[in-house]
Amino acid sequence: MRSQQTNRSFTKSKRNPLDGSPQDGGVSHLSIHRRLSRLLKRETWEAYLFLSPSLIGLLVFTLLPVAAVAVLSFYDWGLISDPHFIGLQNYTKILQNPVVSHSLIVTCWFMVLNIPLQLILAMALAMLLNRKLPGVGLFRVLYAVPWMATPIALGIVWQWIFDPSYGALNNFLAIFGIHNIQWLSSQQLALPSIAGVTIWQSVGYSMLFLLAGLQGIPEYLYESAEIDGASPISTFFTITLPLLNPTLFFVLVTEVINSFQIFDIVYAMTKGGPGDSTNVFTFYIYRQAFEFFHTGYAAALSMVLFLILIVVTLAQALYFRKRIVYDIS
Amino acid sequence: MAVLSEPQRISQRRRFLQRIPGYVIWYVVMIIGAFISIFPYLLALLTSLKPRNQIFSSSPWSLPQPFTWQNYLDVLQKNHFVDAIFHTMIYATFVTIGQIIFSTLAAYAFARMRFPGRDTIFWLYLATMMVPNIVTLIPLFILVKNLGWIDSYLGLIIPNLFGTPYGIFLMRQFFLAIPADLENAARLEGANTLQIMWEIILPLSRPIIATLGIITAVNTWNDFLWPLIITYSDDVKVLTVSIGAFQSLHNAEWNLMMAATFIILGPLLILYFVFQKQIVRSIHLSGFK
Repeated sequence: MRSQQTNRSFTKSKRNPLDGSPQDGGVSHLSIHRRLSRLLKRETWEAYLFLSPSLIGLLVFTLLPVAAVAVLSFYDWGLISDPHFIGLQNYTKILQNPVVSHSLIVTCWFMVLNIPLQLILAMALAMLLNRKLPGVGLFRVLYAVPWMATPIALGIVWQWIFDPSYGALNNFLAIFGIHNIQWLSSQQLALPSIAGVTIWQSVGYSMLFLLAGLQGIPEYLYESAEIDGASPISTFFTITLPLLNPTLFFVLVTEVINSFQIFDIVYAMTKGGPGDSTNVFTFYIYRQAFEFFHTGYAAALSMVLFLILIVVTLAQALYFRKRIVYDIS
Repeated sequence: MAVLSEPQRISQRRRFLQRIPGYVIWYVVMIIGAFISIFPYLLALLTSLKPRNQIFSSSPWSLPQPFTWQNYLDVLQKNHFVDAIFHTMIYATFVTIGQIIFSTLAAYAFARMRFPGRDTIFWLYLATMMVPNIVTLIPLFILVKNLGWIDSYLGLIIPNLFGTPYGIFLMRQFFLAIPADLENAARLEGANTLQIMWEIILPLSRPIIATLGIITAVNTWNDFLWPLIITYSDDVKVLTVSIGAFQSLHNAEWNLMMAATFIILGPLLILYFVFQKQIVRSIHLSGFK
């Protein structure tokens, strides 16, 4: 890339001498150098011009807000009253508040219910769909349909499916003599039900990623494994899984970040209830900020979420860096 | 093709026959799975075409008797749903156009130009992809409030207009794969950067622009949290917020609720089947390296 750029400017000064300053013929080292640096300056100027809209957007609508939320987290502010500095009090309040820790536990529990099962299902589907049979393309498309659906609308559709008296799920279970399960109004089942909807929505998307990863594994590895008489199970653990590690990592990080941010489906299906059983962290922050207007406190909560996500992402990156050792390019 | 000897051919045939049960099981599993992934759509559509009393008197899978469009008419006539469709389209159109223009410009700079700080700035973009929406939500709300943009298109659109790190990343990946020779040749002919972008890069980038456009349009169509906090009047309310409000009014009137949800989900379904190639492409580009 770099050498290409340099090359281009050199060719230009050789073949197009009139383009430069009047006295120079593109021969002497000095003039080439000067022309090059002028070109680079022009390129820099142009590059920043191209970048400026998105850079301004990034500064004003992402970086500035991140800084602002950090500052706000040290203030007591209810949007209407004047903000006043209270130091770390919001954070001590967070540490002491059992609702916060409960909400974090709910979020973690949601991830435990959602992510492992989703990854296993997505992996199984990807392997099932990684073959050349008629109709396989159609199945790939069908499995990813829910990925694009509007979460708030989906939540409502699933509420109907989960309806204890008239819904499709209990109607189906009645065949097996199971009746009247309160999916969304029981404290034990509400969160698993939401996790189920999340799995249903994202498994096809994760599958497409893993499938793309599987298709990137060269065929000859499997062929030689077969010649060596390796069993399908050992082939899976010695070839497929290690080579799929980067893809798995990507999907895992995406899923963890998404799970921490689940909001729409909770809003549509349970509004955090029954009790506090589905009061996930994002929902709790939303309520504190936009229903009770505890702006400073909600800002501190956002900071906590942000820090958790940074730590989780770094931990995952470190863990996988140790394990991603295979490079077959 | 190699000629097979008689015993080889027989053994091949036997192998195929042995695999038939496997194929059958595979198709059965796949069809069940496919049904699971699309049945909520079918159920929503079916329910939305039933009269109200049928919801509580027969199985959820029963066919509509009589078949009726009344639920859709009711939903569209009440609650400013038609307006909400219009508002959502405006929102999605502007954000998509902005995303395409500004992401393309920035991505081109990252992929093709040399300037001090390039790698640092790119790294910064990637890092901000991990900032959760909810973290910036409160300050953004305050900012928009101070600008006087609450409950207006400006407040809805402007914060989402300038391109996302994801969009820039996606476009950059695509640009990096375009050979630089064409641009170099054009430069020798004396073309400037904008001409090069317009006449060389853009025609080659149609597929990725389609991909980014569809993904952005869908995400904006689906967006709920930002419109929820930034709009409250019927003059700018989008579909997702309307359906949230509709839900609290018509809770358990499933025939109406399903008509309302299908007004949101149906267009996405069509879009998905028409553009699935473009949509799947985003996965191949964003997952790796």
